[in-house]
Amino acid sequence: MSLTPRAMLGTAVLALTFFQLAAAAEPAAATHYTLDPAKSALEFQFVQAGAQNKGHFGKFPVSLELLSDSPAGGKLDVLVQMTSLDTGDKERDDTLRGPDLFDVAKFPQARFTSTQISKSAAGYEAVGKLTIRGVTREQRVAFTFRTAQEQGRTVGYLTGKTTLKRLEFGVGQGDWKSTEWVGGDVVVSYSLRLVSAAR
Amino acid sequence: MTLRNTTSRWGGIAQFLHWLIVALIITQVILANIAMDLPIGVRKLAMFARHKSFGLTILALAVIRLLWRWTNPTPPLPNDLKPYERTLARITHAALYLLLFAMPLTGWMMTSARGFPVSWFNLFQLPDFVPKNQGLYDAMKTTHHALSYALYAVVFLHVAAALKHHFVLRDDVLRRMLPTARKSG
Repeated sequence: MSLTPRAMLGTAVLALTFFQLAAAAEPAAATHYTLDPAKSALEFQFVQAGAQNKGHFGKFPVSLELLSDSPAGGKLDVLVQMTSLDTGDKERDDTLRGPDLFDVAKFPQARFTSTQISKSAAGYEAVGKLTIRGVTREQRVAFTFRTAQEQGRTVGYLTGKTTLKRLEFGVGQGDWKSTEWVGGDVVVSYSLRLVSAAR
Repeated sequence: MTLRNTTSRWGGIAQFLHWLIVALIITQVILANIAMDLPIGVRKLAMFARHKSFGLTILALAVIRLLWRWTNPTPPLPNDLKPYERTLARITHAALYLLLFAMPLTGWMMTSARGFPVSWFNLFQLPDFVPKNQGLYDAMKTTHHALSYALYAVVFLHVAAALKHHFVLRDDVLRRMLPTARKSG
């Protein structure tokens, strides 16, 4: 059996087209970033008895998938271990972990999962689902992002702050529903160093 | 009654400051005791927040009061006091002024050392007196409590002396700190 040159050319074109289609269908290689906990901070600021108070979380694994250097079109996932909260006062921390506030026994984690990240005037905005104390709400999270090459690795710096209304998530039951002595607005600020996996 | 002190009687400003501070100290004792008995929660937080705001108010009033005292005549102690009574009166009054400052200052230090910034009636935030420090917090808590007992003791002496002057010695020592009573002979 022998193929005519014409038939061979036809096969080659067909094969090439197939490969091109296959290449197009396969998603572009995404860069996966994970948190550098030592150089990252997740803090929260709140008003207690008319004065600014703050705390931070110690454990909050972050995953960021990017298609390019830009977060637009990427995917952000933040998981906060609620027990790791620290306001510098054991009595207050235990109260915050208790059933009327974060209820960490029942809801040990809070999570933000983006559904869409787009460019904004000030940087980027992730729209996604934020779950705190078992309540999931759509949340917009503003941030700035830049990458840098450090020791042959791509490193991303993500910073920003978002104001949350604690009562929308049920953080504050019973007497804590009042915002007279503990403010309703909680400013969550983040300064993350994200390291690309592989290479 | 004049606003300023005279050589025989406390003026309106001095009397107002004296009795306002009396009312605030009573309020402070009530708030502190309610707060200490409450379980951890918003109500305890609210009681202590008020206690701190009133305490800062007393501190400000104490400053004003001392300045007023220094810029006004001081009605003298009665002439017929025995030397030890005169000394006791001086010590008691000095201790009262000292405690008017020491109570709020140790309280402010205590809350700052604990790491809880203070506001004045939720209106404005004050600077932290000292940085957060657990050892200092413990020390200030003990001191603040001990001084409160010292205050009770000195106030007891002060009130007892005032009542003795009024009912036993029948002089005008108490009356000259009261707005309505007129100076007796």
